Amino acid sequence: MGWIQNRFEENLVITSLDWALNWAKSNSLWPMTFGLACCAIEMMATGAARFDIDRFGAGAFRATPRQSDLMIVAGTVTYKMTSRIRRLYNQMPEPKYVIAMGACTIGGGPYFKYGYHVVKGVDLIVPVDVYVPGCPPRPEALLEGLMRLQDKIRQGTIARPAQPA
Amino acid sequence: MRGKRVSGAERNRQGMEDKLLQGRPDVLVEVDRDRAGGGLRTEEMLVNMGPQHPSTHGVLRLMLRIDGELVLECTPHIGYLHRCAEKIGENVTPVQFIPITDRLDYLAAMINNHGYSLAVEKLLGMEVPERGRYIRVIMSELNRIASHLVSFGAYGLDMGAFTPFVYAFREREYILDLFEQVCGARLTYSYLSIGGATQDLPEGFPERLAQFLDYFEPKIAEYNNLLSFNQIFVKRTAGVGVISAADAIAWGLTGPCLRGSGVKWDLRKCVPYDIYDRFEFDIPVGLPGGVGGAPREAVVGDSWNRYYVRILEMQQSVRILRQCLQQLPSGDFRAKVPRVLKLPAKETYLEVEGGRGQVGYLVVGDGKAVPRRVKIRGPSFCNLSIASHVCRNVLIADIAAIIGSIDVVMGEVDR
Amino acid sequence: MNKFSAEDALRPRFTAAHKALALRGFVIAGVALLAAAVGFGFVAGVAQGVGYAAAVGGVVLAGLTGACCLLAAFVIRFAALVGRVLLTLALPIFLGGVVGIVVLAWIPALLYERVDGIKADHPGAAVSVAQFEAALTGNAAAARGPAYLAALALWPLQFQLTRDVLAVVGVVGFVSLVAMFGIWWERKVAGRMQSRLGPMRVGGWHGWAQSLADGLKLLQKEDIFIAGADRALFRLAPYVAFIPAMCLFIALPFSAAWVARDLEVGLIFIFAMLGVGVLGVLLAGWASNNKWSMLGAMREACQMISYEIPLGFALLVPIMTLGTLRLTAIGEAQSGGFHTWLAFANPFTFIAAIVFFVATLASCKRAPFDLPEAESELVAGYLTEYSGFRWALFFFAEYAEMFAVAALASVLFFGAWYSPLPASWGAAWADGPLWQRAVHGVLYSGPIWFVLKGFFFFFVQLWLRWTLPRIRLDQVMYACVQVLLPLTMVALLGNTLWLWLVRPGAWLAVAVNLILTAIGGLTVVAMAAIVLYGYLNRRRLVGTMAVDPLPGG
Repeated sequence: MGWIQNRFEENLVITSLDWALNWAKSNSLWPMTFGLACCAIEMMATGAARFDIDRFGAGAFRATPRQSDLMIVAGTVTYKMTSRIRRLYNQMPEPKYVIAMGACTIGGGPYFKYGYHVVKGVDLIVPVDVYVPGCPPRPEALLEGLMRLQDKIRQGTIARPAQPA
Repeated sequence: MRGKRVSGAERNRQGMEDKLLQGRPDVLVEVDRDRAGGGLRTEEMLVNMGPQHPSTHGVLRLMLRIDGELVLECTPHIGYLHRCAEKIGENVTPVQFIPITDRLDYLAAMINNHGYSLAVEKLLGMEVPERGRYIRVIMSELNRIASHLVSFGAYGLDMGAFTPFVYAFREREYILDLFEQVCGARLTYSYLSIGGATQDLPEGFPERLAQFLDYFEPKIAEYNNLLSFNQIFVKRTAGVGVISAADAIAWGLTGPCLRGSGVKWDLRKCVPYDIYDRFEFDIPVGLPGGVGGAPREAVVGDSWNRYYVRILEMQQSVRILRQCLQQLPSGDFRAKVPRVLKLPAKETYLEVEGGRGQVGYLVVGDGKAVPRRVKIRGPSFCNLSIASHVCRNVLIADIAAIIGSIDVVMGEVDR
Repeated sequence: MNKFSAEDALRPRFTAAHKALALRGFVIAGVALLAAAVGFGFVAGVAQGVGYAAAVGGVVLAGLTGACCLLAAFVIRFAALVGRVLLTLALPIFLGGVVGIVVLAWIPALLYERVDGIKADHPGAAVSVAQFEAALTGNAAAARGPAYLAALALWPLQFQLTRDVLAVVGVVGFVSLVAMFGIWWERKVAGRMQSRLGPMRVGGWHGWAQSLADGLKLLQKEDIFIAGADRALFRLAPYVAFIPAMCLFIALPFSAAWVARDLEVGLIFIFAMLGVGVLGVLLAGWASNNKWSMLGAMREACQMISYEIPLGFALLVPIMTLGTLRLTAIGEAQSGGFHTWLAFANPFTFIAAIVFFVATLASCKRAPFDLPEAESELVAGYLTEYSGFRWALFFFAEYAEMFAVAALASVLFFGAWYSPLPASWGAAWADGPLWQRAVHGVLYSGPIWFVLKGFFFFFVQLWLRWTLPRIRLDQVMYACVQVLLPLTMVALLGNTLWLWLVRPGAWLAVAVNLILTAIGGLTVVAMAAIVLYGYLNRRRLVGTMAVDPLPGG
């Protein structure tokens, strides 16, 4: 959508178009399987029968970053893993989103004080859209995070931001 | 492989053996992969699998040297989840360390809690009241069932059967409900602590546990029908990645990997700790083909047997749980633990039978509240070490089968 | 840092001024255009010849555009109401769409009949508009009345070119609808088999708009080009995979007269289209500039090509039995009811039917034969570097092909567009008034049976995917060469001998036919019974272990 962005100001057509495009993007978020540690188990439980993330359209977990638009970083990020995370994030096509799941990805979690090999938060590596706290967060919490992300996506626009007066 | 001379006995590739050479180790053969003629040159390639996986292995990176479809060498690279557990152990008190033990083998967290608590209690010479010990065994066995369910489901997922994975998680949700009633957490509990359990069992818990056991036992038969004896699954896993008993002992395997190779060794029976000597249960071991319901193609020590041992262990855990429920006493659930636990200047090492093998804790105290050294023996670390030995001359598809049957949890491998 | 709230996010954000301006504009434009249309109409009343045609054209154009403007104004003014109505209507259209398009396609069929009838009265050169009008009104003189417009509409339908264009449009529409429905249905079926629900929220009832959202999202994805990849081939590969999947439907007969092109060599054409899909796979793998992708593509292509051999042999059996390559002829030969379906004719066609189904599973790379796809998840495969809409085309092609081979299986072996009742029972109603023909289509023979049977086999493909593990590649090859191929050869040879030695009315033929029909019938009855049993006992089977709610909850 790069060619259409920022060319028009907000008007009736653009906002209706925005609504349609955002509706599609938010209802069809395909996560990349990026389970690192314990939070990965809760992410799998969210995809399983009781909590079923597929209800929201986000159930098609893709293995390759090229076909996914949501990276749920689930688990502790260590220094050895950072280059992989960044590379995978770069390989995802725009528009892409990141959910930081679990205390470890928000700010290092229980390993904050003495973990010499733990990165204190994944937002030091990739830009994060939604933080889901918990250790590990319940599947309901992850679903809430997903819904917040959907709200955030619905706020987006391809119009040129309004000029300051 | 271009023109490499190997003896016929060395090549244990499944299904691709030259039938003429079977039983003729004296014959040296020019292994020419290009039977169709034409002199095609094949090249070996280095391929990277991971550390991001579509399945649940966690952050394990496998470097494969392959020739077409055949894997010549497989080297696991670990350390992507090193979370400095042992360093943390040197800086926090034992009670504060319990949550860290949860996250080692996060699928069987209660067992890790149990093991560490036992080690510290041994150091302190603390006596745990009866009810506390029974609660611990109940939680450990329930967690063992939950852990084996994930392993069973994930293995099905690796093999391409998506549905058993969801069924396993459906059963697991009921177990996690029970855990949630007990301590409020679903995955990392920190419930079993030094001296016993941190809280008593809630009202009506034994009845609900009995209800769950009645619900769960027939499900195991369902899983066997769906996956264990499914012809496609058997063809994918039987005879693949055979580890002999001698190899298993030599490489330090423990848990279902060891028992799948026919070695009848389970700490709960052979070196009973806590109150495991009060229960009657069997130790399932690997079955040769055609015996005890095993399919014809099964070999002792292959992936199918390692998988099936876990299914049978779930049944045994149900047995133990029923006996626990019968024998559950009332009373204190935790010993009187002083506010500040001073660890004596001694060391102790204690192993328990975890979900993946023997989890060992070495705790060295030196008179202070904080131990001088905590060392954790992660069973998956030792189990994974055999990967490079066993993943030779197998197909790439078999790598998933073998690693899945070894069932590693990276939290334990990297600590 | 803009704070956002959920309510803000959900409210469409255009100002009232925008709305008012647009409303005013559309109303003024609409009224003006309608006035122009009326003016043109007056002109048409007095003009002659070309002037008449131009004026009529003006009426139509201005009238339609004016109506659209007023409709837009209406939508803007009553946006919420319109949205609700559309959602309510769109759902049945979507669900019924796959079946409904069959109903829609009746309209051209009826028109064609009318046109053919008129053409028969005027043999020779093309029929003119005046002649059409005369035929419609019944009198020979050209009266320039309202029948003129109808004649104008019918006139292009006499040419094969127009019919072809309409057929292509219909095929493309049907395939897209089938692919979208198939994707949604797969997720729902997979969910239900896994005791969960599948998409529920997108668009309202059971997430029916999920495929729509997926498609629209994929359109918005960034167009990634791999460094060093062959740009032309990279762009070309999805189309090489997608177009043959669509072309398959040109030769597939939905009913005796409902086929885009009734090819004399229809079966060979379909077989060829199935084979061309392999090229798409290879191109995709090559164009990814990833040696591992290339190898994955070659393995996948190897699987697809190897399974074309048993597929071809299995196709030979109906060809040999019926002596024709025309799909309509093969279908019509099975019009006598359940027992005349080719799969039940003799044991060898039965084997051929099963082998055909398995071989098409492998050809479509569906589980349990999707190891190359799965390994591509682990390492890399031919589709790894594709993102966005290019990947969507591959995905669409896969589902279109799945339905096409399912429909092909039903055409070849399972009675094509005929119901289990013999068509001769309803022959009286085949030519009567419209409602009689509709009932005939539902009861005895019609495209609706074709679609339903196609979706039945589609469902079996889904069912297998979500139940069985994957087969390893060398085992796949073993199965192809050492199991399926000998089986097809036996089927072919056996069929030959059967046709040569056994007379059609002989007691052996009848007895075997009866046995096989019974097997087929019992299978269907058993499946229905299992579904019914599962539905009636659904709570007990899934397991509802009652767990008391947590305190406070």
